[in-house]
Amino acid sequence: MFKTERSSVVKAVTRLLPVIALSLALVFAGRANAAEKVKIGVLHSLSGTMAISETSLRDVVLMAVEEINASGGVLGRQIEPVVVDPASNWPLFAEKAKELITKEKVAVTFGCWTSVSRKSVLPVFEQYNALLFYPVQYEGEEQSLNVFYTGATPNQQLIPAAKYMMDELGMKKFYLLGTDYVFPRTANKVLKAYLKSRGVPDENIIEEYTPFHHQDYQTIVARIKKFGASGDACVLSTINGDSNVPFYKEFANQGLTADDIPIMAFSVAEDELRAMDVPPLVGHLAAWNYFQSIDTPENRKFVKNFKEYCKRNNLPGGYNRVTDDPIEAAYFGVYVWKAAVEKAGSFDVDKVRQAVYGLEFDAPGGRKKMHENNQHTLKPVYIGEIMKNGQFRIIYKTKGLVSPEPYSRYLHPDGNIPAPTGGPKKK
Amino acid sequence: MLKRGVLYRTGIILLLQAIWLFCALSARADDAVVRADILRLAHDDPAVRREAVMALAKTGDQRLEDFLESYRMGSIYIWKGRPVLCERTIMDEEMNELAPLSDPLTRRPLMNNGRQVVVPVAELTGISPTRRERRLAGRAKFLLRLSSPDAAMRLSGAKKAGDPPGIVEAVELLRELSENDPDRKVRYTARESLLLLRLNERTAGPEAEDRLAVVRELGEMKSMRALPRLRELLREITGKDHGAEGFAARPLRTARGLVRSHGAPAADSAEQVYRRAIRQIEIHQGFVDYFGSIFQGFSLGSILILMALGLAITFGLMGVINMAHGELMMIGAYTTFEIQRLAGHTPDNPSDWYYMLALPAAFLSSALVGYLIEVLVVRHLYRRPVESLLATWGVGLILIQLVRLRYGDNIGVNAPSWARGGIEVMQDIVLPYGRCFIIVLCAFCVLLIYYLMKRTGLGLRMRATMQNRDMAASLGVNTGRVDRYTFAFGSGIAGIAGYAWTLIGGVTPDMGQTNFIVDSFLVVVTGGVGELLGVIFSGLGIGVLTKVLEPATIGSFTVGAIWAKVLLLLVIVTFIQFKPAGLFAPRGRLADE
Repeated sequence: MFKTERSSVVKAVTRLLPVIALSLALVFAGRANAAEKVKIGVLHSLSGTMAISETSLRDVVLMAVEEINASGGVLGRQIEPVVVDPASNWPLFAEKAKELITKEKVAVTFGCWTSVSRKSVLPVFEQYNALLFYPVQYEGEEQSLNVFYTGATPNQQLIPAAKYMMDELGMKKFYLLGTDYVFPRTANKVLKAYLKSRGVPDENIIEEYTPFHHQDYQTIVARIKKFGASGDACVLSTINGDSNVPFYKEFANQGLTADDIPIMAFSVAEDELRAMDVPPLVGHLAAWNYFQSIDTPENRKFVKNFKEYCKRNNLPGGYNRVTDDPIEAAYFGVYVWKAAVEKAGSFDVDKVRQAVYGLEFDAPGGRKKMHENNQHTLKPVYIGEIMKNGQFRIIYKTKGLVSPEPYSRYLHPDGNIPAPTGGPKKK
Repeated sequence: MLKRGVLYRTGIILLLQAIWLFCALSARADDAVVRADILRLAHDDPAVRREAVMALAKTGDQRLEDFLESYRMGSIYIWKGRPVLCERTIMDEEMNELAPLSDPLTRRPLMNNGRQVVVPVAELTGISPTRRERRLAGRAKFLLRLSSPDAAMRLSGAKKAGDPPGIVEAVELLRELSENDPDRKVRYTARESLLLLRLNERTAGPEAEDRLAVVRELGEMKSMRALPRLRELLREITGKDHGAEGFAARPLRTARGLVRSHGAPAADSAEQVYRRAIRQIEIHQGFVDYFGSIFQGFSLGSILILMALGLAITFGLMGVINMAHGELMMIGAYTTFEIQRLAGHTPDNPSDWYYMLALPAAFLSSALVGYLIEVLVVRHLYRRPVESLLATWGVGLILIQLVRLRYGDNIGVNAPSWARGGIEVMQDIVLPYGRCFIIVLCAFCVLLIYYLMKRTGLGLRMRATMQNRDMAASLGVNTGRVDRYTFAFGSGIAGIAGYAWTLIGGVTPDMGQTNFIVDSFLVVVTGGVGELLGVIFSGLGIGVLTKVLEPATIGSFTVGAIWAKVLLLLVIVTFIQFKPAGLFAPRGRLADE
């Protein structure tokens, strides 16, 4: 019994031997071929809740890769993007990141949108000393040597917006409204500390949160209406995702306009406006570091290229697609990495990291700079007013670039901030 | 005859031309004054500059609204002694910065030999306002609106004139509007703003007699806008910090008691005048809140009912745990979008009839998909409820991904123009048209289902099949066909819910899973599976309960959206513990099992 079984196994193996040899040969051939290409990871949700925002970032990263490959690649090597779908599932983000780093051996990864997904992949990137470019504005309070943050820190978006509301529009009362998760909660903490430092009394600040996908804003709008009856109140909104549509609709339908109570939004960009019925939003505000309406030849070209890319590749929306702040940040992230690799002359993570610090570069929205000694980006701040066509009219721009402060001075008044985490392995 | 017609026509044309010429001439005369004022914006003395802003606002020339905006943005320049507009500069081949010029009033390009005038930037002198002037220009915009021909614009101007810091220059115009404006709401707001401006005057103390008269009148007008300021002034008088809650908790009796103890009510102290005015406004506010909550509850309830009606048929009557119910709503919403696209409806170019056409279309497309689901999947699983749960959930996922592949994630349904805004039924109570429409639509659907079930042959066969399938079959009812029609009908109603949803919410491929499916089951289970009447009661109950809980305050803690949901679920769980069958005892297939 035993013997026959064993012999059958041996027989099977011998029979399979040519097949195994052939496939091994193919694998090695593939390796040799792949050595000319360098792999990069693209880690954005293409299904689930976050697909609405993240799909556009995948598109623009692939567009940047196509452009770079067409102009000769990086250090003479073509880029091969490896796209994975973490499906808006936070633990899956970590698994997929590990897969990209250990199995695909990518040189760098571009990805994540929500802070919770970034927190989920952070230990993976630090464990393997890999590199992530994170393109979305976030709440700060984090600094990892394995991440470059190309989006805004709180002082590059929240504080200038609140300052604009007070100084330019003369607002005295603030309704801080957000979705219930880490970004709005921390953002509102920073905003509150700032407003208090400017002498706004407690009773003039209301802080309120709604669950994800909250759809019924009747009560909240009624409360805002009462709060703002005196005519010097505004809403600072960190409402995220699909809740924005019913919120703005209800706001307009109860007879409120941007002249009565302006809404300053931190999570509504051109891409989200595509999904909205725009007339109720006209005149409301948003603060970003980039708008599609920035009127420079470089940006016009970028917008046109993106639209054509989407049309050419038959992506939903086609020529009607728009660019916005995270799309720009995701796009120039790829170019920052390319420039750093070329400066370092190597794909080695530690060398590339050193090359990124202080790097100056031309982004579609204008010249920007990576910080000399932290992981963030120096960016200008714009405030835009929503127009009927779903675009923003820029009504305010900071002079020059604003330096990033990952740890807000309003939360750390004593200047004691933690040391960055991650980085090269200690031997 | 013909000749006379021509003569008439020529006469009319001549007359029109004369009128046009006259208007053009008078406009040009105005233009000279306006342009002179614009030049004064570049004066060295800030006082002159500010005076110029206000002088411009008082001309009432509506073209100046855009001008003032450009002025605030720093896009107005002086070129060869005349004001020009330049919104952006361009570069020529040698990288010189050039400015294409436009007229600041008409906003049309300045032409020279058929081409727009373009000059080097060095030739322009900027008029860049200081922050103080920018804010002044912002207020001047509203002053300008007071003389707009559009009532909505006048209303916005009248409101802003009274809001802090107040536009004192508007007093004359406000008085005019408060007496003679054709629009009631504008008259009220202008009057309110006038009083607010007088309330804020710093010349007399808060206890001066004419100021008390203002306070009394604001109280009579139940002006919500005055409330924060009145409380502030009362604090100044009493020197104590009462806070908003202190007043709300204080019963009316206190004020009356005070009056009585002093004897004659005519000689009210200043404090009493303030208290009474605040009290009047607070009572009004309380009423607005109360009525508002009730309406909001009914509105939310009607939406819940609409969402649950379809499920009450497919789950309640047929016993199919249909997890794709939310996706059937999503299909209704996307059908509405598709009809809008075909009709070419955009906010700028509305074709409002599309929305009426979308109603039957949403019903039919969802019904068709429901029919196919029944034939292909559900039919084989009638005796296995758990498998039907999994299978329909899978169908839902497939539908989501199909729609995502076709449309992407971002689409927008633009509400028809008649569903924008709302009607102010009483002072400060605005009922949005969209929500009113949904309440009517919900009532219509309920009546439709009731009629179909109780008054038609099809309804009779449906009820017979649901109550006892074998008996119905033996009496000659084609139960398979009845199942298909019932399922398709329930699905169609879900499509109508999705169609109505586009008026108030967003449209995404996974809207069914994230927004609808849980609430729908909640309503059906609470109402009693198998009973349509239960859906109506539980839908309204859940709606009103949510809207009563949400704004409630316990001490300084406001319940809010998150805790309202938690409390609501607790209430329902407790309720189901004691009445597992829901509000109404079930009948139909589930009851037999």
